Amino acid sequence: MQANEFDPKASPAIIRRDFLKRLAAAGTAAWMTGEPRAIWAKSGEMVTHPPAKADACILLWMAGGMAAPDTFDPKRYEPFKKGLEVSRMLSTFPAIDTAVDGLKICAGLENIAQVMDRATLIRSAVQPDLGSILHSRHQYHWHTGYVPPQTVAAPHIGAWMAKVLGPRKDVMPAFINIGQRLEGIGESEELKAFTTAGFFGSEFGPMNLPFPEEAATSVKPPKGMDAGRFASRDRLFRKLVDQSPQRDFMSDYQQQSMLRSLDNAYRLLSSKEREAFDITLEPKEVQQKYDTGRFGRGCLLARRLIEAGARFVEVTTEYVPFLYWDTHKSGHDTVDGLHKEIDLPIATLVRDLEERGMLERTLIIIASEFSRDAIMEGKPGSTANDQATFKVDKVEEPAHYGLHRHFTGGTSVVMFGGGVKKGHIHGQTADERPLIAVKDPVSIMDLHATIMTAMGISPKTEFEIEGRPFYVTEDGLGKPVEAIFA
Amino acid sequence: MSLFRTTTTLIVTLMLSQLNRAAEVDFSHQIVPLLRKHCADCHTGDKKKGGFSINDREALLEGSENGAVIDLKKPDASLLLEVVATADEDLRMPPKGDGLSSVEVSLLKQWITEGLPWEKGFAFKAPAYEPPLAPRKVELPPSKDGRNHPVDRLITAYFADRNLSWPEPLGDEAFLRRAHLDLIGLLPSSEERAAFLADPKADKRARLVEALLAREVDYTEHWLTFWNDLLRNDYGGTGFITGGRKQVSKWLYDALVTNMAFDQFARELIAPPTGESRGFIDGIKWRGDVSAGQTVEIQFAQSVGQSFLGINLKCASCHDSFIDRWKLGEAYGLAAIYSERPLEIHRCDKPIGETAKASWLFPELGNVNPSAPQKERLHQLAGLLTHPENGRFTRTLVNRLWHRLMGRGIVHPLDAMQTEPWNADLLDFLAEDFQTHGYDIKRTLSLIATSQIYSAKAEVVEPDTANATRFVFAAPRAKRMTAEQFIDSVWQITGAAPGRFDAPVFRGKVDREAAAKIELGAEWIWGDSAADGKSPPGGERLLFVTNVKLDSDVKSGAAIVTCDNEFTLYLNGRSVVSSDNWENIVSVPLHEKLKAGNNQIAVVGTNGATAPNPAGLYFEARLDLEDGKTQVIRSDASWKWAPRTEPGKEGRLGAVPKNLKPVTLVKPVGPWQKVLRKQGPALLAQGDAASARMVRASLLKSDFLMRSLGRPNRDQIVSMRPNELTTLEAIDLANGAALAEALKIGAEQLSRRAWDSTQSLVSHLFHHALTRDPSAGELAAATDLLGDQPTPATIEDTLWAILMLPEFQLVR
Repeated sequence: MQANEFDPKASPAIIRRDFLKRLAAAGTAAWMTGEPRAIWAKSGEMVTHPPAKADACILLWMAGGMAAPDTFDPKRYEPFKKGLEVSRMLSTFPAIDTAVDGLKICAGLENIAQVMDRATLIRSAVQPDLGSILHSRHQYHWHTGYVPPQTVAAPHIGAWMAKVLGPRKDVMPAFINIGQRLEGIGESEELKAFTTAGFFGSEFGPMNLPFPEEAATSVKPPKGMDAGRFASRDRLFRKLVDQSPQRDFMSDYQQQSMLRSLDNAYRLLSSKEREAFDITLEPKEVQQKYDTGRFGRGCLLARRLIEAGARFVEVTTEYVPFLYWDTHKSGHDTVDGLHKEIDLPIATLVRDLEERGMLERTLIIIASEFSRDAIMEGKPGSTANDQATFKVDKVEEPAHYGLHRHFTGGTSVVMFGGGVKKGHIHGQTADERPLIAVKDPVSIMDLHATIMTAMGISPKTEFEIEGRPFYVTEDGLGKPVEAIFA
Repeated sequence: MSLFRTTTTLIVTLMLSQLNRAAEVDFSHQIVPLLRKHCADCHTGDKKKGGFSINDREALLEGSENGAVIDLKKPDASLLLEVVATADEDLRMPPKGDGLSSVEVSLLKQWITEGLPWEKGFAFKAPAYEPPLAPRKVELPPSKDGRNHPVDRLITAYFADRNLSWPEPLGDEAFLRRAHLDLIGLLPSSEERAAFLADPKADKRARLVEALLAREVDYTEHWLTFWNDLLRNDYGGTGFITGGRKQVSKWLYDALVTNMAFDQFARELIAPPTGESRGFIDGIKWRGDVSAGQTVEIQFAQSVGQSFLGINLKCASCHDSFIDRWKLGEAYGLAAIYSERPLEIHRCDKPIGETAKASWLFPELGNVNPSAPQKERLHQLAGLLTHPENGRFTRTLVNRLWHRLMGRGIVHPLDAMQTEPWNADLLDFLAEDFQTHGYDIKRTLSLIATSQIYSAKAEVVEPDTANATRFVFAAPRAKRMTAEQFIDSVWQITGAAPGRFDAPVFRGKVDREAAAKIELGAEWIWGDSAADGKSPPGGERLLFVTNVKLDSDVKSGAAIVTCDNEFTLYLNGRSVVSSDNWENIVSVPLHEKLKAGNNQIAVVGTNGATAPNPAGLYFEARLDLEDGKTQVIRSDASWKWAPRTEPGKEGRLGAVPKNLKPVTLVKPVGPWQKVLRKQGPALLAQGDAASARMVRASLLKSDFLMRSLGRPNRDQIVSMRPNELTTLEAIDLANGAALAEALKIGAEQLSRRAWDSTQSLVSHLFHHALTRDPSAGELAAATDLLGDQPTPATIEDTLWAILMLPEFQLVR
């Protein structure tokens, strides 16, 4: 399909003018806001936003619990061997050098290793274990900053950015979520509970694109409808609005708001930015670099969407119970496959944004709800149930080889661009089990404060819901980790 | 006595202050201005930043969430002095501006040292409005201008007080549409429109309201949405996965279809007589640790407070509320009524070393006995909640009903019932009327809907009115269609409603007598692998077939099917229903699926697991035929089977093998029979009621389209859905598959009908969707697109354009 078939100018000018004139009175929709705004807190206190270091944010979500010792925080390597004591297992991949002297990450991430000189690596992220490991609860916590259940629906961090900052280009959705199916998989209701703008309302919620290769259809006219028909249908709608006998409602705010939203939708669906959703428009060789699977293609889509003006894009390896990073057995083999899926696309994403001069103002974050360990569930002293599939003391077969317990005591987070230091390590975990953060632990709250500060949003930002303040970091108490900013 | 009441007082005070300056601090002239300047913005009136208010001396001494701020014994140790004098910018109060001068600080210090003298009766701002608790009989103002309806008399007086004029009346068509959507959630059909317009009698609007409310099933399936939101009940979602949550669906449906009195309704939810209404108080039990403010006990307190009393206890269940008068101890007291363990009070998630004592929020009406067992305490609470002197209970509910019908609450927001109503007489009148008429919800709906003010044109709300802080009632306000109303309307127009629904309910009243008379008589069947009492292999998939000859078409009837472990039913080659949960017997309406002549009934059944285990299929149907006969179809020895390896394609059965073998009769295992006896007869008896009715969106699990149209995730109680359409929602409406598919089906059906002209098709669409004739301009625009020979595509596009109109999506 030709890109220019949906030129909005195709609509008859007269009708369009009349239609839009009626919208003008109501001012600009929240959807269209661009720059960070000062916010009046309920107290009357003015929240001052810090100067933004980044304009856009890409969260690369390693759903299911990415084992730090098998990715960004290698420990003593024990190769597979029948009879290997499970308690000996720290890392199942050897360490490799990176572009940064003295910084090592795990074998399998050779491409990412070459761009680590653009990264800040936090090795001391920690999470509460919540008494029981349930991925959906920990993911809810990570994505909203609040431990579920909450008495009001807490907004996703992407929704906070959409609400406070809006999209970078008014025709684009501010918050886009790539790679996670929300129907037909286990715990889908639990995923929906945090994949939402919560009490902000769906205006600020995610546009969900579970399959990157199908994203283009989500901004196309319905299946089977050609461009001409799509435009003529919209033309009839506009005529009917203008011909309505209910003239007095033309100035009604609810009617205006509805027409504005419908107009916004039509503009996106007929805009040039729409092409950003179509990854097949990339040169073949570029597509190949990213085409390691759905996650890889999602990274390419994220790059295109950010270029086109989205504010926050999450790309997930997808959470499905017991799949991908949720390794309850055969951890090593599964992670080996995941390395292959994430390594080149992430490195390419960093390089592509850099080439385009966008990396400095785009914050890329690689994160997960917690880490993994071969024997420890939760963290030292935890009462959480052991959920490993095989409760063995010795490795007898490949299925036993891997990090099969959920570990919350020390997790790696990688950040690129967005004003963070380059080739920098923050925090440290112990060299022997328990592999807990032993230096500069970073809580989810402070991590969020850091991300929000980079984006130019005060960690104290609050909105009123049901008469009480609700903060972007719990009680407004999050403190940014200033040490990682350049 | 107020501070500056008279000049005399003022002068005397001034003189005194001058006399005493050296010795004593002058409260009114030195302290009040100081506090006003530096503290009032955040700590007076209903503002209690940090839990700290300086409204009056008592509040000041009470301190903040950090404890006492004044130490009268050791004035120098007062936190207040510390925070105003500190050099630490993060801690200093006030956080903005230059802060207090050293002179001001020493004045404060002197004031505390002198024992905090306070002008008697002075407060920075009167305490927030406190609503009355008791019901109140309202004396109605006299009738004026022929408006005799009690609601209209009250509204007339309200308008007269404010020099407002009465809004214009609504035309018959708009009234018909509004009443239909408000009371039963459906559009009036073209025929209903014509009949209503043709009715010449003056009382036809009142009769319409009564007739709509009498449509029990339609009413129930509309209001189910409202109650599911308010009781956070759903058919799937958070908590169900771990067994931490129960539905009240079936109980709720029955309560609505029988119009259960609301006091009884509340009592059955608070003190459940059976397990069916337990889900509300049991809340959601999460796996793992939850914060102290989200235990099931605290959820109980929050749910009871919010749903039935319009009290938001979410603040108070963590610390004394900063926004209303509720305190931590009161939230925990309510929670302790439900609690079956000693409930340790936590303040901001930290234990304070006290155990909560069961008590409820309005002890002036009596209290529960904390040493009684839980069941008894819940009974006592149910009694107190529905106590005749508890006007909060009735006011909260009638306010919600008013909101649904009139677009905005008399108290607004609905869950902040401590807010002053814009018309206390109206609220109190409705509440009292509701109570004296047996807590009859339909009666109150009827009372509101038969008033002239309900019959008035919707207010055109200009943006500045919408954002005004002070609300003035002028007319009813337009309501956005709920997701369910929108989808039901689309299904009405297009005929694209699905055939099955998720709500575990019997649609219609259960005819217990009819159910009791039904005797089940089918056999459990399987293939050869079940011969001689053997257990068939896991994963075995078989096809079962029978042929039935009917003498005439089916008027009504249902089949019940279950299969251990899963099945798909094919009627005349088309897939009708599948289920993988044998414990939930599936019922299928048959009136449009079987016809006069030969019919093929086929079931593909699959045994679960991998190891051999019992497998069996059960099918039984009862049909009322058009010729008056009844016919029964049962799985029995006459059925045949064959192995089945291929799943059907596109919902078709495909070719049936020739070499079918007779089935094996299986001796049922205990649980099969138990499930069958429990659900089977009523489901078969229900077949009649369900078969002819369109499935309503309220009976379905939430889906993509419903979510994008504002159906909430029911983890939390939601009493007001968003009123505006967002851009992301608009994108879904523009290209979402679900709506597009429904429109396609509808357009194909419409294109098959014979239309006199394109104009008559357009008129039909306008009649059905908007309950009015198209204007000349609209007719021209639509006819222009449709042309002389409307095609399914052009009809689909016209339908879409009409459904997108604000006039369609709003109930005006």
